[in-house]
Amino acid sequence: MDKVVFIAMSGARENMLAQQAHANNLANVSTTGFKTDLAQARSMQVFGEGLPTRVYAMTERPATDTTTGTFIQTGRTLDVAIDGGGWLAVIGADGKEAYTRSGELQLNAANQLVTGSGLPVMGNGGIPIAIPAAEKVDIGSDGTITIRPLGEAAAELAVVDRIKLVKLDEQSIYKGVDGLMHVDDGLPQPPDLALKLRSGYLESSNVNAVNELTSIISLSRQFEMNIKMMKTAEDNSTAAAKILQLS
Amino acid sequence: MHGALFVAKTGLSAQDTQLKVISNNLANVSTVGFKKDRAVFEDLLYQVQRQPGADSSEGTQLPTGLQLGNGVRVVGTQKLFQTGEMQVSEEPFDVAINGRGFFQVTMPSGELGYTRNGQFHVNADNELVTTEGYLVEPAITLPAEVQTFTVGVDGTVTAVVAGSATPVQLAQLEIADFVNPAGLQAIGQNLFIETAASGAPQIAVPGEAGTGILRQGMLEGSNVNSVEELVNMITTQRAYEINSKVISTADEMLSYVSQQL
Repeated sequence: MDKVVFIAMSGARENMLAQQAHANNLANVSTTGFKTDLAQARSMQVFGEGLPTRVYAMTERPATDTTTGTFIQTGRTLDVAIDGGGWLAVIGADGKEAYTRSGELQLNAANQLVTGSGLPVMGNGGIPIAIPAAEKVDIGSDGTITIRPLGEAAAELAVVDRIKLVKLDEQSIYKGVDGLMHVDDGLPQPPDLALKLRSGYLESSNVNAVNELTSIISLSRQFEMNIKMMKTAEDNSTAAAKILQLS
Repeated sequence: MHGALFVAKTGLSAQDTQLKVISNNLANVSTVGFKKDRAVFEDLLYQVQRQPGADSSEGTQLPTGLQLGNGVRVVGTQKLFQTGEMQVSEEPFDVAINGRGFFQVTMPSGELGYTRNGQFHVNADNELVTTEGYLVEPAITLPAEVQTFTVGVDGTVTAVVAGSATPVQLAQLEIADFVNPAGLQAIGQNLFIETAASGAPQIAVPGEAGTGILRQGMLEGSNVNSVEELVNMITTQRAYEINSKVISTADEMLSYVSQQL
């Protein structure tokens, strides 16, 4: 029997994986600072005896699309969006420096500046930012955090720290299993003092819903074609069996 | 089964939660002293299907792997404490806080609750209470025949009683401030209670320690912006539709398999 059915199956199976990647993008269509994952198919040859026809499909994630999402004005001082291609340095769950563009910052009970999901935000000094009790916290366009301490006069402003913004080499970054961006060597990156952020804005997810939906539909058709191939392989094999049938 | 089905399901439930948050905000668009919520989304863990950087042979590496995301979740809701618009009511028992801080209210359990709703009333015992009838802390009892009732910007409460020209000072209103108001727990009835995340209340006289001043005859409206919420509602609905479209596509794929093979 011809093993064409396995080739078709590999196509269908990898289509399903790609579809999950696109479904994940769509599920995160309203996640602040989310970056679209790309999915592409690659041919994986396994040539054996005879004609070199065995080329299986493989879905892979070649990269993450880091284009900037739309800025949404929220008016909340602790919401920050980064202008241009920079990243916010945070401390991931594994204790290492990781990068995100999700800027829904807040203060936790330990007075630390954390992201919406509770990860401490790194200061330029390489330690997490702590903000003492303040009447008002302002984040400047270069990430400088100015506070008006509780009970102090309007003239008694104090600079606490500066949010660490880094510029990452697009070639060496990848999205880790925690959804944060990491650099290949895992070493903390130096702050880029030229980067700017905007307080009172959030960056929306950069998922293009129409693109993703179109990919899903086209993958679904590809999947059907692969199933059709399997069906054809089955029909062929049934026909062959019939011809050879005795009686 | 098809992974996309479960991923899209997480999308649907997150958008569902988002809609609930939005509708609660909209429902409270005219609640005095209400603070709106915002749902915070987070992408779920990624599963490594094929490890990027694994050796494809000695000396060569797979340039890219396959990591599949598992969808989205609402990691929490954030209370946004922006000040609402001040409305002039000219009602002597209406007091608004211009600045940070909360009024303290004794709840039926004896615990203190904190509120920005300054719509006060007088109960049968001549005590200053909230709309629910909870005592304002520190307790203020008005004399029997009050002609005018005045709350100063610094919280001094004075009254002029019938038959006397000199006002009497009744009490001093205090306001509580928190290091992290967003950490307060909302318990409904416009009240918040202290949590470990908010820190302990710091009691101050209005105007001192940056706690804000009082304004009699004014109320702080809800900080919900209905236009903003409606726009959020539309985007939520569209995101929901897109995710349900993924579910129907994945379902059609599976049904095609079971019909054809």
